Amino acid sequence: MINRRDFGKISLVASLATTMGRPAWAASAADTAVKAAQQYKGRTITIVWEAGLQSLDPTHFSGPKWKELTGMDVKVVEVATAEMFTKIMQDYKSGAGAYDALNVIPAWMPDLAQAGALEVLDPYVEKYGYAPELQTIAPTYRDNQMKVGGKIYGFPDDGDVFLMYYRRDLFEDPAVQKAFKEKTGKDLAVPKTWADFDVVGAGLTDILKDKGIYGASFFRQPPYAMYMFEERFRNEGGKFFDADTMKAAINSDVGVKVFTAMRNENNFMPPGVEQFGFVENLATFLQGQSAMTISWPPYGRWAEGYGTDQEALNWVPKTTIAGKVGYALPPGGHPELAAGFALSISSTSKNKDAAYLFIQWLNSEDVSRQRVQLPYTLRDPFRDAHYADPGYLALWPNAKDYLAALKQASQTGLLDLSLLQTDKYEEVLRQAISKLWAGDDPKTILDAAAAQWNDITQKIGVDKQKMVYAAWAAESGAYPKI
Amino acid sequence: MAAIAHPDRNFKYWLISPAVFLLLLVGLFPLIFSLVVSFMRVSMLETDTSFAGLVNYVQLFHDARLWQSLLHTVLIMVIALPIELLLGLAMAYLFLDRLPGRQLLVSLLVLPTIISPIVAGATWRLLFDNRYGPINQIIGWFAGHPVPALWTVNPGLVYPAIIFCEIWQWTPFMFLILLAALSNVDRSLTEAAEIDGARFWRSFRYVVLPAIFPVMSIAILIRGLDLFRIFDIIWALTAGGPGTMTETISVYTYIQGFKQFESSYTAAIAFLVIALLTVIVTWAIRRMGLAK
Repeated sequence: MINRRDFGKISLVASLATTMGRPAWAASAADTAVKAAQQYKGRTITIVWEAGLQSLDPTHFSGPKWKELTGMDVKVVEVATAEMFTKIMQDYKSGAGAYDALNVIPAWMPDLAQAGALEVLDPYVEKYGYAPELQTIAPTYRDNQMKVGGKIYGFPDDGDVFLMYYRRDLFEDPAVQKAFKEKTGKDLAVPKTWADFDVVGAGLTDILKDKGIYGASFFRQPPYAMYMFEERFRNEGGKFFDADTMKAAINSDVGVKVFTAMRNENNFMPPGVEQFGFVENLATFLQGQSAMTISWPPYGRWAEGYGTDQEALNWVPKTTIAGKVGYALPPGGHPELAAGFALSISSTSKNKDAAYLFIQWLNSEDVSRQRVQLPYTLRDPFRDAHYADPGYLALWPNAKDYLAALKQASQTGLLDLSLLQTDKYEEVLRQAISKLWAGDDPKTILDAAAAQWNDITQKIGVDKQKMVYAAWAAESGAYPKI
Repeated sequence: MAAIAHPDRNFKYWLISPAVFLLLLVGLFPLIFSLVVSFMRVSMLETDTSFAGLVNYVQLFHDARLWQSLLHTVLIMVIALPIELLLGLAMAYLFLDRLPGRQLLVSLLVLPTIISPIVAGATWRLLFDNRYGPINQIIGWFAGHPVPALWTVNPGLVYPAIIFCEIWQWTPFMFLILLAALSNVDRSLTEAAEIDGARFWRSFRYVVLPAIFPVMSIAILIRGLDLFRIFDIIWALTAGGPGTMTETISVYTYIQGFKQFESSYTAAIAFLVIALLTVIVTWAIRRMGLAK
C-alpha cells in the first residue's frame, strides 16, 4: 500500500521527470543511439557537411566524440553550400552510395524526396524511440522542416532565422531620442512595422550621419536579399502564387510596394550598400556604423564578442559594440528561417542504420545542446531546451535577450519557399533583385519575374506543382496569420 | 641462310594504335555521349530520360536569354580583343630594344597571366569595392570628392569593369607572343626600308606586319577563342549581373547545367557553341591564310 512517504517519493520523481523533459528511467535518445551504434564498431560513415566553419563541428567536436563512444569513424565531406545539392543528387543518380548521412537545406527536401535521394526516417525514429525528443524541437522548425508528404526525411538541426539587431545604447540615448522626436514628431522605438522602420532608419541617419552612423544597413547581394524579400513580401500580405491557377503573384501591388521600399531604403543606408554581403554588413554593424541590421543568429553572438577570440573566427571584425546590442524580431514579426539545415540519410547509403544512429545522436537534446554552444560552428539554437539552457544564458551578459528573441522567432518564423525545382524560382528572384539595385523599374522587373515563374511552373507541370505548393502553403510557417 | 624478313610496313601503326585508340576513346566518348544526351530529356531533377528528338535544339531558338548571352559574349570579345592586340603590340615595340631592366620588367608584366582568372576576378572585385576598394579612393583624390561608383552593380560601369580586368590579365599574353614575333623580324629589311625613306607606319605596314602576321593571327585566334568562353572573371566579378546583363554564353551554360540541372538542354547549348565556333574558326583560318 502506498503511504504518504511513498507518495512523496513518487511525486518527486514525477516532477523531476517533467522538468527533465523525459522520464527519469528512460534512456535519452543520445544514449540509445550510442548503445545501438556500438555494434557497428570499426565502420566508417561518411557525412556531407557545409564547408568552412560549419564543418568544424563534425571534424573537431562531434566526429571525434562519436568515435570515442562507439568506435565508429566519421568521414566528413566538406562541400560549399552552393554545390551541396548537386553533389547529393550526383551521388544518388550515379548510385555510387558515397555518402551515408547528409546535411540538407530544408527547401531542397521536396526535390530530393521526390527524386528518391533521401531515406524515409519514420521506421528508424520508431525503432530507436526518437519520437518524444523530436517533439521538443522548436515549433516552427519541427512543423516545417522535417517532413515531405507526411513522412520524415530530415531532422531540423540548425535554428537559422533572421533577427533584428539594434544599437540599444543609441535607442536609449536621451539626446538621440530628443532629436528624433523633434525631427519626426514620434518617440524613438525599435520598429515593429516596415513603415516604422523607414521613419526610424531615415531619422537616425539624419541625426547620426555626422558621427559616421547610419540608421540601418542590410546585406543586399541577391542571394541574401532574396530571403529578405520573401520574408517582407509575406509580412506585408503577399502570396507567391494564386493557389487555384498557380499563376505567380509576386508582381502584385504588395510585391511592387516591397521592391520599391527596399530600393528607397538604400538611400539612408551606407553608400554602396547594394554590394553588401554577409561580411561587409557584419563589419559595418560591428564597427558601430549602423544602428539596425537584420541577419542570422551569429551576428548577435559576434556583436557581443562571444567566440570571436577563437582562431577559426579571426576573420570576424573586432566588435566595438559589445554590451550595447539589443535583439528583436524584424518588422512584421515573422522572420524568415532563411536556409537552415536538416540531417538526413542518403537512400543509397550502405550503412543506413549506423548513419541514422549518428544523426539521431547529433540531433538529440543532449548533444545538440552542446553543439549550438560551440562558438565556431554556426549551428544555432533550435530546441525549446536550448533557449532556456543555463549554460547558454550565462555565455554573455545579455544572452538571455538573444535567446528570448530566438525563441520568439522559433514560434513565428516563416518557411523558405519550397517547391519542385525551387532554385529555378529563386534564381529568377535573385536576378530580379540584381536588376532592382541596377535601377530598373520595380513593376517591370516583377512582371518579367512573374512571367518567368509561370514558364517554370508550366514546364514542371501546373498540377504537379500545384499539389506541392498546396502542401507547402498549408504548413504553419508558410504564410503569417495576419 | 634464311633471308632477313622484310619489316612489316604497317608495324609503326600497330605500335601507336593503342595510344591513338585510347586518346580517341577519351576524347570522343564524352562528345558523342553529350550529343546523345542533347537529344534526350535528361535533367537531374526529373526521372523522365526519354528520347526528345530535336526539342532541345528547337528550344534554343526560342530562348531569348541564350541569344542575349551570345550577344554579351561577342560584345566583350569585339571590344577587348582589339584593345589587347594594340596594347600588346605597343608594349612589344617598346620592349623590342634593349631597355635597362628589360628582363625584370617583362617578368613583372607577365605576372597577371599566371594568376588564375577566378583569383584575378575576385581580386578586381575587391579593388572595385565601393567601400574598401582603392579604385574609388584614387578616383576620389582626382575628383576632389568621394566617388561612390558601384562598378559591379551599375549598368553603365559593369562592362568597363569586366573589360578592364580582362585586358589587365591577358594583354601581357599578346605582348609576349608579339614580342617574340617582332624579335624574329629581319632587322635588315626594316633598316633598308628606313634608308629608302619609309616612315614608321609604311615600314610597319609593308615590312613588319607581313612578317609577324602568321604569329599575330594565331594570337588573335587563341585570345578570340578564350574570350568567347570567358567565364571566371565574370563569375567572380558580377556572376552575370546586374540581372543577366553580363551573362556570357559560358556563364549561361554553367547556370543551365549546374544550377538548373538541365543536362540535355545544356548539351544542346554546348553543341550550338561548337557549331558556331567551327564556322567562325574555319572562316578565320581561311581568311588569315593559316591553312596554307
